[in-house]
Amino acid sequence: MDTLLALLTVFTQPQLFLLVGLGTFLGVYIGAIPGLSVTMAVSILISFTFSWDVYPAISLMVGIYMGGVYGGSRTAILLNIPGAPSAIATAMDGYPMAQRGEAGEAIGVTTVMSFFGGLVGIAVLALAAPFVAEFALTFQPRDYMLLAVLGILLVGSLSAGSLLKGIFAGALGIAIGAVGRDPLTFAERFTFDFQIMEGGISFIAVMIGMFGISEALLQLHHVGADAMRQKIDRIIPSWSTVRKYLPLSLQTSSIGVIIGALPGTGGDIAALMAYDHAKRVTKKPTRPFGTGAMEGLVAPETANNAAVGGAFVPMMTLGIPGDAVTAIMIGALFIHGLNPGPMLMVDQPQMFWFIVGALLTANVFILICGLTGIKLFTKIVEMPRAVLIPLIMLLSVVGAYAVNNSVTDVYWMLGFGVFGYFMRHYGYPLGPVILGVILSRLLDDNWRRAIISEREDLGAFFAGILTSPLSLTLLLVCIVILLSQTPLFTLLKSRVSKETGDQL
Amino acid sequence: MKIDYRGDADHHDGTSDATPGGYEAERRPGELAFALFLLAASLYLLWEAYGIAGFEALSSAGAVPMATTAAMAVSALFVVLRTARLPKVSTESLTRDILPFKVILFGGLLVCFGLLLVPLGFLPTAALFLVLAIKYLSGRGWGFTLAVSLGSLLLIWVVFRIVFTVLMPAGIVPEAELLQFIRNIGTEWGAQ
Repeated sequence: MDTLLALLTVFTQPQLFLLVGLGTFLGVYIGAIPGLSVTMAVSILISFTFSWDVYPAISLMVGIYMGGVYGGSRTAILLNIPGAPSAIATAMDGYPMAQRGEAGEAIGVTTVMSFFGGLVGIAVLALAAPFVAEFALTFQPRDYMLLAVLGILLVGSLSAGSLLKGIFAGALGIAIGAVGRDPLTFAERFTFDFQIMEGGISFIAVMIGMFGISEALLQLHHVGADAMRQKIDRIIPSWSTVRKYLPLSLQTSSIGVIIGALPGTGGDIAALMAYDHAKRVTKKPTRPFGTGAMEGLVAPETANNAAVGGAFVPMMTLGIPGDAVTAIMIGALFIHGLNPGPMLMVDQPQMFWFIVGALLTANVFILICGLTGIKLFTKIVEMPRAVLIPLIMLLSVVGAYAVNNSVTDVYWMLGFGVFGYFMRHYGYPLGPVILGVILSRLLDDNWRRAIISEREDLGAFFAGILTSPLSLTLLLVCIVILLSQTPLFTLLKSRVSKETGDQL
Repeated sequence: MKIDYRGDADHHDGTSDATPGGYEAERRPGELAFALFLLAASLYLLWEAYGIAGFEALSSAGAVPMATTAAMAVSALFVVLRTARLPKVSTESLTRDILPFKVILFGGLLVCFGLLLVPLGFLPTAALFLVLAIKYLSGRGWGFTLAVSLGSLLLIWVVFRIVFTVLMPAGIVPEAELLQFIRNIGTEWGAQ
């Protein structure tokens, strides 16, 4: 009974209900603006809500978090600029849909599927939190390293172009992620003796440059072309459309929850893995992936919102943040005299259930905020390119500057923008670069932890992998993915399908 | 316009990241030079990575950078070899299809934007950039150009500076005093 009361606190207190709604609304728009991250917004909020009661403070933060993860998809679809890293995969098919004039439909489906993914994540948080957290706890450093390798190997399947160019792009991303002082030994890596490079390169600057500036430069080729009018009459998707994609969204929600529950990973990796999963399991997509396939939208959007519920699992049950935002929220709970971790569930279960209730409310508000105001939002892409291109460039500059209030980030963003422009012209995929930057730290730290724990013995390291079912499974998945990208596999596959076809 | 229009009729400019540009069996103008540049950069980075800790230990700070730059160098080498064998695209030229004047101009404008951002300040630099860019691209009259440029800039400034309190470089504009002046007007208005 007490549990139910705690769960319903948000609904019974109008002030908390409105705060969740306001947070979600702000989150959607903050998430949609490249450079304004949810992490930044939540960290700023802590200073505002310092003197508040814990419940209103958490209500606002939960709303911003949930809304922000969803909001990133809007600019990804409309402008090919992911508002947040978790929307990178969404841009791959969402933007081609907008270019066909189907932005309304894309946003509608995205909203409903984000809602569905969010529901699954919250359900898992409420029902299976202890079990999922226990599973994540069994991961050894080598497993995290293999998980990072797995993510990097996805480059081949994430990019339709050459595998070699995909590998180059992924490796480049890891190298970019390594720039700066090594956190373990403080050694300088790729700094070229420049002091400004010691702090590393801002991931947001790389992302805005590669996706925003390169896109604007590409659009200069077509400045005279008519703006594509967006169909905005079918915002709310039909039940048959929703039902059609439910099985896929259920699968990708599961991916989202599991990846979200793994500390250090988040909605961005969950979305990319879900996208890859959709590419593998969908035999007949609505269109080829990368050209506006609905499955390419459904998968990442359900996964990144499901990852929110997943990220709360280790945060609430173990006190380990699932991602950057939950790390800040742990800080917020500490400020309010609460101790996130196993004892929170024992001492203050009402707080756990209150957060579940707040997440549930924020998820409902996503539907409301997401399915309204689209007409105004889609007008952005109907603007003449002569106006839109300079505005994208200006927003990119402002967004890159806003991350650290640093002009250096603007220069990085411009440099990566020009570099990305050439990469796109010559068939090098950009997604793997971003994926590499995200996974760089995870790979580096856990490789070193794993090899140090084996006393630098490579043989013992591999023996450890082969004797652990979890590590072995991850390794086998890596090998299968690698082999599946080779021409030999493609040849074998086509022969098998031909023989099967002949037999039929 | 064709229904499958995606910014380029041949889809070879990488309009979506999932369908990178280029051609499967042909080489675009400048593609080999770009591949050679990437190979040279990868080799240089490999050398830099070796300089971090050499072959000191598997857990050294340079281990992962060396492995990744080696992967970059090897893949870049294969890309160069493959690209060099491909025939050139006969219908494209570097100055028309890859680096037209517009792209070079905007590259230069963006660099100027970055250079002037701190000394001149965000508002004048952004206004200058928007006016020049919109005037050049739209070819419309000064009235349209100024109205659209300054109107959008005002909106962006209000959203970033006032709503999200993002501090952009003030430069020659007394932004803080201006904001205080606006706040004072608001306070006086409220007091009445």
